[in-house]
Amino acid sequence: MPKVALLFPGQGAQYPRMAAGLYEHYEPFTAIMDRAFESLGRAGDGLRAAWLSDGPTEPFDDVTHAQPLLYAIDYALGSLMLSWGAEPVALLGHSVGEMAAATLAGVFGFPDGMRLMRDRVEQFANTPVGGMLAVAASAADVEPHLIGQVAVAAVNAPRQILVAGPRRELAEVERTLREKRFTCKAVRARQGFHSPVVDAAAARSVDAWRSVGLSRPRRRVYSSQLGAVLPPHLAVDPLFWARQPAVTVWFWEALGLMLDEHEELILVEAGPGQGLSAIARRHPAVRSGQSRVVPLLPARPGPPQADREAVRRAAAQIGAAG
Amino acid sequence: MGQFTVTDLVRTMRAAAGEDDSIDLDGDILDLEFDELGYDSLAMMETASAVEREFGVELPEEDTAELTTPRAFVDFVNVRLAAAAR
Repeated sequence: MPKVALLFPGQGAQYPRMAAGLYEHYEPFTAIMDRAFESLGRAGDGLRAAWLSDGPTEPFDDVTHAQPLLYAIDYALGSLMLSWGAEPVALLGHSVGEMAAATLAGVFGFPDGMRLMRDRVEQFANTPVGGMLAVAASAADVEPHLIGQVAVAAVNAPRQILVAGPRRELAEVERTLREKRFTCKAVRARQGFHSPVVDAAAARSVDAWRSVGLSRPRRRVYSSQLGAVLPPHLAVDPLFWARQPAVTVWFWEALGLMLDEHEELILVEAGPGQGLSAIARRHPAVRSGQSRVVPLLPARPGPPQADREAVRRAAAQIGAAG
Repeated sequence: MGQFTVTDLVRTMRAAAGEDDSIDLDGDILDLEFDELGYDSLAMMETASAVEREFGVELPEEDTAELTTPRAFVDFVNVRLAAAAR
């Protein structure tokens, strides 16, 4: 098997029925999703119904739906890869995807991860309503136009960042940016993740993190919170994880380091959409053909068989027996 | 041959994404999907608005969002340029 690295997308990648075509078709994926819903009790039934619903489900982009589903789906897809015999040499998650990376590295178990998700839903659901906005610009271009609690939430690529904050202030920033002819696009989110709006909620989640046993990573995790390899002492620090949803995501930096440290990699995006694949394809190491990108799922929502076709195609490209 | 070429498009795409031009984005890319080239919707919106500014043509977002390959994009821009010239 070639060297595989797994990329896990986060908030904004979610959509109803994401990866649902794999449910009840791929055993490890299905078992993990069922465990996720069971662990949430009655709320889990509602979450499963919202995930599998054909119609629009109102709070889908809210923390209550998007976060536990993204975490479970990313982890279930990563586990599916392992079940094929892939042994990832590197894991990298964006936003809540970093929790899936940590779980696959053995920092905490999946049941604890779901308990932490339950706590996150509780702590974050009452944060001031906020949002996130993608901007085709560098952080330095945008920073002079930020106001109040609006902050740079993620640096995804040289000219692709996310800003986040409380709804009204974010709308004002968006108006200014559009007047200055910046290209902007709303990100599917109802909270201002990775901005000071969620600082208090992140602080409240420290107790839940303290109650979980944290271990040193067994696989190499490139942390997008750090833009560096996750060192053992931070992996076991509850404060590091508690603040993670409130601080900037340095995705491009972490991705670049991962590609620098490995000669030839197959970057497998284990999550909904192809947002991280698109970014990785623009990296010089991929552009030059040194490393390549294999998304597991289609770029945009489609019928259930499209999910299965995408996974089969990916398996063939990776050389796995999926 | 239209006024807007694939070379113009590639140059604009790279500037839009802040891509290093030390590595070629050439070969036969005309019929590759923008997704495969690593250009997501934000990068394509930014590309379209840069083309609008440089070539003085209007490219409605609802139309450009449907263009999935460089060939379709180049053809569309040339149709719009020809229509504007009439």
